Amino acid sequence: MDFALNEEQELFRTAIRKYMTDLGKTDIARSVIDGKLEVVTRVTAGFAEMGISAIPISEEQDGLGLGALDLVPVFEETGRVLLPGIQLETIALAVPLINNYGTQVQKSNLLSKVAIGESTISVAWYEQNRGLTPKSFSTIAGKTTSGYAVTGTKTLVAVLGNPDFFITGAQTAEGKSLFLIKASDVASRKILSSIDETQQIAQLTFDQAPAELLGELGEATQMLDDALLHFNAALCSSMVGGMDELVHTTTEYAKIRVQFNQPIGRFQAVKHGIVNMKLDLETARSLSYYAAWAVENDTADKQTAVHSARSFISKAYIKAAADSIQLHGGIGFTEELDVQLYLKRARYYENYFGSVRDSRKKTAHSLGWHTKSTKQTPVPVF
Amino acid sequence: MDFTFTKKEEKFRSELRGWLEQNLPEGWLKGNRKLPEDSKLYSQFLRDWQRSLYEGGWAAIAWPKEYGGRDATLIEEIVYHQEMVRVQSPPLINYIGIHMVAPTLMQMGTVTQKEEFIEKILTGEQVWSQGYSEPSAGSDLSAIQTTAVKKDDKWVINGQKVWTSFAHVADRCFLLTKTEKSEGKHDGITVFLLDMNQPGVETVPIVQMDGHQEFNEVYLTDAIATDADVVGEVGKGWKVLIALMLHERSGIAAQVFTLEQQFNRVVEMAKAVQVCGVSLIEDPFVEDGLADLYTRINGAKLNYYRNITHTLKNGKPGPESSLDKLLVSELTKELFDFAMTIQGHAGVLMAEEALFDSDMQAQYLASFGATIGGGTSEVQRNTIGERILGLPKDLGR
Repeated sequence: MDFALNEEQELFRTAIRKYMTDLGKTDIARSVIDGKLEVVTRVTAGFAEMGISAIPISEEQDGLGLGALDLVPVFEETGRVLLPGIQLETIALAVPLINNYGTQVQKSNLLSKVAIGESTISVAWYEQNRGLTPKSFSTIAGKTTSGYAVTGTKTLVAVLGNPDFFITGAQTAEGKSLFLIKASDVASRKILSSIDETQQIAQLTFDQAPAELLGELGEATQMLDDALLHFNAALCSSMVGGMDELVHTTTEYAKIRVQFNQPIGRFQAVKHGIVNMKLDLETARSLSYYAAWAVENDTADKQTAVHSARSFISKAYIKAAADSIQLHGGIGFTEELDVQLYLKRARYYENYFGSVRDSRKKTAHSLGWHTKSTKQTPVPVF
Repeated sequence: MDFTFTKKEEKFRSELRGWLEQNLPEGWLKGNRKLPEDSKLYSQFLRDWQRSLYEGGWAAIAWPKEYGGRDATLIEEIVYHQEMVRVQSPPLINYIGIHMVAPTLMQMGTVTQKEEFIEKILTGEQVWSQGYSEPSAGSDLSAIQTTAVKKDDKWVINGQKVWTSFAHVADRCFLLTKTEKSEGKHDGITVFLLDMNQPGVETVPIVQMDGHQEFNEVYLTDAIATDADVVGEVGKGWKVLIALMLHERSGIAAQVFTLEQQFNRVVEMAKAVQVCGVSLIEDPFVEDGLADLYTRINGAKLNYYRNITHTLKNGKPGPESSLDKLLVSELTKELFDFAMTIQGHAGVLMAEEALFDSDMQAQYLASFGATIGGGTSEVQRNTIGERILGLPKDLGR
């Protein structure tokens, strides 16, 4: 039994944290709010230099061939500073999709470039008023002589840093299918106003966009569900990083803010409030580690591990940020303090590729709660 | 990261499993787990159980071999508790003796104390209680008022203890007293190994809100102890108390696994109980609430594993055990609260008339003790805030 990151993973964490500190921590996110988007390109290059973008890519495609646990320190540290961009979408969603379902040619064309920081990929899945699991897409893919052509409108697509490719879902005769589309083939792009201004989400319109099939026709939902295990594990780490920073800054503030001639952290109303944040943080971290471990080792309980983690952490992150605002008092309500940025990020992630309710439902199903109950022995066998 | 047990640990598990199958009381594994109600029979039943644990070498696995233990590792202790919870073994009547008093005596007891007490604790011949809390000293133990005054060569003890578990069946009490008035709150406290079988000791059971009588008031009227009964130095009892508390390293394991087992039982109920032909679990409210509880209970278990890993790497436990205790006790309360809610109005029925489990309503009532005993949730939050987060101590302490 050993439930901790290993020494290399902790060393890697230190290196990434130093890199984030050198970049000014949340200054990066604030630059994006100010419209200075070039900082995102710098981060992509920096990630490649540190080998981060190569982690989940196999050695054949110039990657490091490492697993989900090695991404834990990465996303905790990027989450801690609210790093803007589509690292999660590229590394933890597009890469698993291509890894699992791409052809050899697609893998060598796309993944080597991601590994060396020359390419980022986002996922264009949502359509207006259709939720996460629509019966069908309104976006249509038609067969052409050289492949497919996709027409339709996608929304809520993360686009910060201008990804080179989109993996998109479109309807074919066989059902919902996944396609690869070059960013240069997007007909029009409209940036949508979002509560989290440190990110950028867009509505994309495709008009007969040349598209390459990814995986089997009609299997889009299944493929996405599978890749979302990787994505959710990584997203959980990112949220844990944010929660960790919230607990830290709130604690430090309570030590130095003096009212009634004493640091407010002495008052139990404040102290216990911060402790409650800390309790959620520890649970969140344990669940996220276990989720990453389950994904990396492809365990039988990986569905349960990932969905239960996501269900808890999405909610706990929002609560941590909201509590932090309250515990800071007036200053917590200002634009000047970073806490509000964490709240907005937490809200941005809450329903991203699945809600708390969805995750709980999936947890219940994966635990077999809805299958016919078998008779239990008086003493259960573990 | 690795969640598997080694071959040696699994061998340990199967050895214990085999022993339990042979040695648990008659009918226990088949579900006949009722303990005698009469206090004398109850006491005898549990003493017999401890005796048989002792004979099998399973009474005090963490103790050093020289005292009759197995020098078990922390992981073996986890395995031990998993198995004990799995079979819902009878309670250990000498829990206090084995897990707290004896290890403290091994560390700081006199040669005579070690010889006189440790073996008897192991065999169950001598059952121990602990006398800490008083009517005016609950969370604030330093406020105790029970006095021990030296007269000739005897200590004369007067005062009242409360919440003393096992006192009605105990032979000895690990007793906290005040031996001198002092400036410092933690000075002037002395620990005695008090003989409970004497005229100056009167035990009155406390009836809990769940109807059980697990605790007692202990009235001390000119009770007598000798110098040989003092643990450590006179006036330095606070140190002894802290040392004792640090020995309580594995109690949380049993609570974690018990909670997991209780949760599974509630899920079984939600699957089995039907309203108009539909199982409770099919109600989205029930499904959602249970999925949430599953996640947090599993999270608490994983936290415990993470803290154990930390302890193994650092060689000693840290204040994180407060975190485990707080989470597990609060979750126990929440679990049974939810279990009551989903049973509908029939949830008011208890014992033989209960909808699903004759014990569940009683467990709900008992769960309120979890966040009070062994340090209230409020005290745990202070400990976490101050010792883990480094927040300033509040002015009262």
